[in-house]
Amino acid sequence: MDRTDQAGLGVAVVGHGVVLAALAFGLMRAGVPAAVSEPIEISYLEDVALTSASPSPAAAPPAASVAPALGPVEEAATAPPLPARREEQVAVDRGPERAAPPPQRDSRDRRRPDEGRAAATESRGSQLGPDFLKGLGRDPASRTQAAPAATMSTQAAASIAQAIARQVQPCADRQVYPGPGAERIVTPIHLRLNRDGSLAARPRVGAQRGIDDENRRYAERVADLAIRSFVECAPLRGLPAELYEVPRGWSNFTMNYRMPG
Amino acid sequence: MRKSNVRMNRIVAPLLSLLMANAAFAQPQVEPPPATTPPSGEEEQLVVDVTGGQRAALPIAVPYMPTPQAADTAAGNTAALGRQVAEIVVTDLRNSGLFTPIGPSGLRAVSFPQVTAPDFPYFSTTGAQNLVQGFVQANANGSLTVGCYLYDIAAGSELTRQGYVVQPRDWRRAAHRCADTIFSRLTGEGGYFDTRIVYVSETGPARRRIKRLAIMDYDGANHRFLTNGQWTVLTPRFAPDQRTVAFMTYEGERPRVMVYEMESGQTRPLVRESHMTFAPRYSPDSRWIVFSMAINGNTDIYRVPVAGGAPQRLTSAPGIDTGGSFAPDGRRIVFESDRSGSQQLYVMNADGSDQRRISFGGGGYASPVWSPRGDLIAYTRTGAFRIGVMAPDGSGVRTLTGGGFAEGPTWAPNGRAVMFTRGASAGQLYYVDVATGVTHRVPTRLDGSDPDWSPLRD
Repeated sequence: MDRTDQAGLGVAVVGHGVVLAALAFGLMRAGVPAAVSEPIEISYLEDVALTSASPSPAAAPPAASVAPALGPVEEAATAPPLPARREEQVAVDRGPERAAPPPQRDSRDRRRPDEGRAAATESRGSQLGPDFLKGLGRDPASRTQAAPAATMSTQAAASIAQAIARQVQPCADRQVYPGPGAERIVTPIHLRLNRDGSLAARPRVGAQRGIDDENRRYAERVADLAIRSFVECAPLRGLPAELYEVPRGWSNFTMNYRMPG
Repeated sequence: MRKSNVRMNRIVAPLLSLLMANAAFAQPQVEPPPATTPPSGEEEQLVVDVTGGQRAALPIAVPYMPTPQAADTAAGNTAALGRQVAEIVVTDLRNSGLFTPIGPSGLRAVSFPQVTAPDFPYFSTTGAQNLVQGFVQANANGSLTVGCYLYDIAAGSELTRQGYVVQPRDWRRAAHRCADTIFSRLTGEGGYFDTRIVYVSETGPARRRIKRLAIMDYDGANHRFLTNGQWTVLTPRFAPDQRTVAFMTYEGERPRVMVYEMESGQTRPLVRESHMTFAPRYSPDSRWIVFSMAINGNTDIYRVPVAGGAPQRLTSAPGIDTGGSFAPDGRRIVFESDRSGSQQLYVMNADGSDQRRISFGGGGYASPVWSPRGDLIAYTRTGAFRIGVMAPDGSGVRTLTGGGFAEGPTWAPNGRAVMFTRGASAGQLYYVDVATGVTHRVPTRLDGSDPDWSPLRD
C-alpha cells in the first residue's frame, strides 16, 4: 500500500462516515408521514335514514323505534294533509321494552304527522323501507324534534328518490318496448304533486336525450310511456310530509324514464 | 279508383276539422313531447331515475263500434258495419304481432255518445292499456263516415282521432286506415294495413302450372286477377304511385318485361328491344325502371324512363347482373351479380358508378330489396333459402326466417315487416316483423309467390 492508496482509503472511510451520519440524522427527523387525505366515510343509502338539519346531536336518549303493524292502506284522499309542524305531533309512548337504537342513528316513528294525530295507538304500515324515516326523535324531551328537516340533504334526497322509484317501478315495468333503439331515449317528465301524493298538474315532458336516426320514430311513444309509468302508479304514498315543500322536496321533481336495454 | 281516392281525400280534411270543432272532449290532455326546456333551477330539483319496460304485445281494447242511427247502405247496415270495422281493426293489430287485442266480443257495448266519453273505469278492468272506439254513420249522399278514436286508459286521455269518409265499397279501407292510425300512434312507425299486394297466383300441376297476376288487399280481401293465365308471369312490381305494375311475361314465347296500366287494364312492353328482359323494379319517384337484359349471353342491368325511351346500361361486368333495387333516396341501387363466381350483393350509384360488393358469405345471395327506411337490405340466401337482412354496407347480417324454403322478400311500406314466399312447389305468402320475428300467413285464394307490397294508399 503506497501513499496514494492510503489517501484514497482515508477519503473512502471519511465519505462512508458522512453518509451514515446523514442517514442516521434523517431517520431521526422523520416522523409519521401526514395522511394525504382524510378517510372516506362510506354509507349505503338503503341503510341510512333521512338526516335532519339539526345543528347538534340530541343530548337525551332518542325514543325507541316502533315497527309498524301492517294495516290497511289509507286512501290519500281521505286524509287531507295537515301542516307538518313537529311541535303539534302527538308523542307515542314506545314503552321501555324496546331496545334503544344505536346513538348515532336517532329513530322516530315512521308515520306521517297527520297520521300520528289521528291514531296515536295505531301504527300504519308504510310502503317505504324499514329505515326510511329514521333520524328524528319522537320524544318531546328530545332536542332532535326541534330540528325538523328544513332542508333536504343529499342522502335524504336519494332516499326519497328511491322511495318514489320503488312505487313507480311496477308501472314502468308494464310499459311495452316499441322498437330497436328505444332504450337509448331518456325522457324527463316534470311532475308537481299535492301533499297527498296525487298529481297537482299535468305531467310535462322535458327535452328528451339519446335520440338518433334509428330511434327518432319512437320518441313520442317513449314520452307516452314515461307519463304512463308515473300516472298508473299515482298517487304516491308514504312520502315524508316535512320534505314536501323544502328545496329539492318531492312537491316538484323530475323523473327520468328510460326502457331497459 | 283514382277518382274515388281523390274524392275521399277532399272530404276527409274538412271532416276532421268538423270533428275537432264539434265534438266535446273533456279528457285531460297530456302535453305532447316536443322538446321543452326544463324549468329554471331544475338542477336543484329532486331527480328520480326509473328504468322499466317489457318486450311484449300491447293489450288494447277494441269494442264494437256503434252507429248513431242504423241505416242500410250498399255495403250493408251501419250497425253491422260497426261490428265488422271493429273486427278488422282487431285482426290488423293482432296480425302485426305487436298487440294483444281484447274484444270486440266480450266487451261491454259502447253507445254513440260514449265514443267520445269512454268509460275508463270499466276498460281499466279489462287489462288493456289503450282503447279504440269509433262509429259508423251513413251520410245523406250515400257515403259512409267512420270515426276512429284512440285513448290511453290509465291517463284517461285521448291520444289521436281520425275520421274517414268513404264510398260503401271502400269501407274496409276505412277500417284499415283506423288500424294504421292506432299502429302509428302506439309504435311510432308508419302503418301498413291500408296496402295491397300484387303477386303471382299459382294453380295446377307442376308441369302445367298456371300463373296469373293477382292483386288483393294486404289481408287477402278484395282479391282479383290481372291476367288470365294464358302466359306465365313472374316478378310483378308496383310503381310507387300504384298506377302501373311492371312484370315479366312469357307472352308469345318471348320473355320480356311488360307494364300493366291499373286504370285501363292495358299492358305494353317496357322496351322495344328484342332481347330477353326481366327483373324490373321502379325508382322511388316512379320515373325510372331498372331491369336486366340478356345480350349475347351476358346479362346487365339497365334503366329506362317509365314513360319510354332508350335503355341506359348501368353494369358491364361479365356474368349475370340482375335484381336491381333502388334505395329510398333513389341515389343508389343494390343488385346481385355472379361476377365473383357466386351470387353476391353489390351496391352502386344510380348511374352505375362506384360498384362495391357488400356480401361475402358462403352460398349465395339473391333478390335484394332495399328497405323503405333505407337502413336495411332484405335478400334471399340461396342454398338454405332463408330470408335475411343486412345494412347497406354489408354489416349486421341477420336471418329472419327459420327452416323451410323461403324466397322473394318485399318490404312493408314502414320498413318494419318483410313479406316472402314460403314453400318451393306450392308457395304461400307470409310476413315477418323484422324487430320481433313474429310471422303471419297472408291468406290467398290459390297458391301464391313473388309478392310485392304496395306503399300506403292515398
